Amino acid sequence: METRRLVLTLTGIAVALIVVLGGLTIALLATGGGDDDATSGDGATEDGDAEPTPQLPERVEGELRLFGADPITLDPACASDADSAEYIVEIFSGLVSFDRNLKVIPDIAQSYDVSPDGKVYTFHLRNNVIFHDGSRRVVADDFKFSIERALNPDTQSTVGEVYLDDIAGADEFIAGSATEVSGIKALNDDTLEITIKEPIVYFLDKLTYPTSYVVDRREVGDATCFEGADWTLSPNGTGPFKMKDWVLGERIELEANPGFHLDPKPSLQQVTYLLAGGSALVMYENDEIDITGVGVNDIDRIRDSNEPLNAEYQTGGTMDTSYIGFNTVEPPFDDVRVRQALAMATDRQLVSETVLKDLAIPATGVLPPGIPGYNENLEGLPFDPEAARALLDEAGGPALFEDVTLLTSGQGAAPSEALAAITALWEENLGVSIPIEQEEFGIFLRDIDQGNFTMFSLGWIADYPDPQNFLEIKLHSESADNETFYSNPEVDNLLNQARTSADEAERIRLYQEAEELIIEDAPWVPLFHGQYNALVKPYVNDFLLPPFVIPRLRYVSIER
Amino acid sequence: MQGLASYVLRRLLLVPLVLFVVSVVTFALGRYAPSDYVEIQAGPRARPETIERIREERGLNDPIYEQYARYVSNFVQGDFGESVRYRGVDVEDVILPRLWVTLQYNAVVLVLTFAIGIPVGTWAALRRGTWMDPFSIGTLVLFASVPVLVSVPLLQWLFAVKLGWLPTGGWHERNILGVEIGILSKQAILPIGALTLVGVAGIARYMRSQVLDVLDQDYVRTARAKGLNEAPVVIRHVVRNALLPIATLVAFDLAGLFTGALILETLLGIPGIGLYAFESISSRDYDSIMAIVLLGALVFQLAMLAVDIAYGFIDPRIRLSAEARR
Repeated sequence: METRRLVLTLTGIAVALIVVLGGLTIALLATGGGDDDATSGDGATEDGDAEPTPQLPERVEGELRLFGADPITLDPACASDADSAEYIVEIFSGLVSFDRNLKVIPDIAQSYDVSPDGKVYTFHLRNNVIFHDGSRRVVADDFKFSIERALNPDTQSTVGEVYLDDIAGADEFIAGSATEVSGIKALNDDTLEITIKEPIVYFLDKLTYPTSYVVDRREVGDATCFEGADWTLSPNGTGPFKMKDWVLGERIELEANPGFHLDPKPSLQQVTYLLAGGSALVMYENDEIDITGVGVNDIDRIRDSNEPLNAEYQTGGTMDTSYIGFNTVEPPFDDVRVRQALAMATDRQLVSETVLKDLAIPATGVLPPGIPGYNENLEGLPFDPEAARALLDEAGGPALFEDVTLLTSGQGAAPSEALAAITALWEENLGVSIPIEQEEFGIFLRDIDQGNFTMFSLGWIADYPDPQNFLEIKLHSESADNETFYSNPEVDNLLNQARTSADEAERIRLYQEAEELIIEDAPWVPLFHGQYNALVKPYVNDFLLPPFVIPRLRYVSIER
Repeated sequence: MQGLASYVLRRLLLVPLVLFVVSVVTFALGRYAPSDYVEIQAGPRARPETIERIREERGLNDPIYEQYARYVSNFVQGDFGESVRYRGVDVEDVILPRLWVTLQYNAVVLVLTFAIGIPVGTWAALRRGTWMDPFSIGTLVLFASVPVLVSVPLLQWLFAVKLGWLPTGGWHERNILGVEIGILSKQAILPIGALTLVGVAGIARYMRSQVLDVLDQDYVRTARAKGLNEAPVVIRHVVRNALLPIATLVAFDLAGLFTGALILETLLGIPGIGLYAFESISSRDYDSIMAIVLLGALVFQLAMLAVDIAYGFIDPRIRLSAEARR
């Protein structure tokens, strides 16, 4: 009896083994189907151009496959991150948007007029913009609803007022003393009038951001950013693409909206984002995705002209600036000489060439290339170790740095190589040893927010191509995003003048003047401007690599 | 049998208590950890006063016992909360599909590890003193020593890029008799292979040492002295007794079925629970964290209970405490 039971048990294990292995083999053969000859050896060639193994169901005609991440939210009023915005600008649309040349163009608005004092914008809406479900057209009142919803505190959007409180009456509405935003008027179905508090010239730029995009009020109801948001899983938008399917953590499928109101209409039939992660470059080489970013570890290989992938390599600026920020109200960095000393002991060129392999452009100023007002001739504080040392000695010498740490966000064991190189340069040139302290992102944000730091490393990326987006937001003494507490009345004055100046050349001049003062005061050590490095399959045409999020998929075509 | 029933009952009564303690600790750890989901997801543009206002509205500034009471009250009504990482999705709708993914590949790995480890370990023990013993165990240990972080990219390079037999990763489920099954797709081969390579060595070595122990026992010598053939001796006396301690390992592995392998899931792009646990911690998705931890605690307790019961059946020397005390 005993033996029999044991034999049975062992047989059971063996059967399980056979079933599992057999199942796997059958699955392998079944999915292998037509491309059996891939296993013959000839299918796999030296250059990694192996037989494609579909990860998903067969590609449909005109399908683009991209590497992606699940958006946090597809509610335009709530999105605060680029990942979410990337999807939203394709599914929804607003009054205006950026075109492929980064120019603001009318979108759902067919045209707009601006009053002579620059405060009243009258948008004339197209009468042929239909929601994806085909049920009805977009009217001016939909915009009034959508913008007020984004501003409404009950919606709990963290960005609503950031992008929209230039509108007259927004403050009263947020405070609860008004039931509507007085500056937004739907004059009739086709005409929307928006009045702003101050004649800021970048107001249209701000309207390109998803926050003011139109949503279907019947679908949204009284959903907030956090509750009742299930409508975002199959949103009813007006953008160039429609949501076809979203399998959480796995894939998002968008399909073309043939009735889209702008030209060019989408040429792609379908865009599939693979969301589960994985190794993007390997997936790209295996033809599972059509576009991938390239990191610093692979860049040497891709740049090699003998490498077949070299022909698919594309690059573009990202309109951002990474920098070291100082706490300018506490010692030792309340002393401008100490800040200047560190800035002048930073050899960005060397770090860029060696550690970053020229993937980033050394920064001399705050504004990145591509932003109007970017000053090519700005010299900034020169790299001059001797002058730096003299400044530091004058201010009190390396002893000042006893309690100084460089705060950065990170989860890895080692901090970024660029930062390590920069602190090594300081040690070499100034004899100061500054430890790098890594904090988990949430903790880091809170410490920066509360001024709980001596110095930190951070970056800033453009929302829209305007110098205000950098200089005023980050360095005006009254801006909430000025985390260095930098305050220079002269700079504030220049920035205030520039904000509403209608003369473009004058405006740029004011910003450039402010930037020079800022660099001299050194609340920041600007480090680098970033770059996109991507591989794009040869059959994909017109895939843009814009410096910030714009609706770009409708320009893309596939030619096999 | 009556003893068994009351034993199981008493153990089951402990389950809510343990869950309560685990939930209090996890809840407190989450809330006392710096930052929260409003702040983390607010984006760099958001204003501090806006963040503070939303925090207040969402009750994140309330005393922690009030927040906990609210959580428990929702929980017992079957409302596990809405994810803030995947806004608009209920926590259970995010977690269950991911748990299913992890469970599938882990189950296959579990079966494979034991199905290969047990025979190989026994075989190696019986060949002690020959080159085959250190060779087989050594090879397995070599595989086990290579971290997944290294082995997965190597396997990807070899089987996906060079040979083109397998996709580089991903997870593809298809509907088989109404159930979404992912382990029958090519995508499942790499993760299962990689984890099995790591797991087999442990089982094989353990089995080998158990078999060696048993081989020295008097009853084995007796069996041989009786003139029994080698096969019955090995199967009936050696393997059976050597298998007893392995049952504990099965238990731990059963509980581990629900624990995703973060690195593996990241590298291979598998939407499993390991990846999600990590994501929900980084985004302070409180309700998801609670659900994952509580589910883990529940499964672990049930697995342990199952093993204790199974022990009584397998090993006559061990009787459940209820009976023993009589």
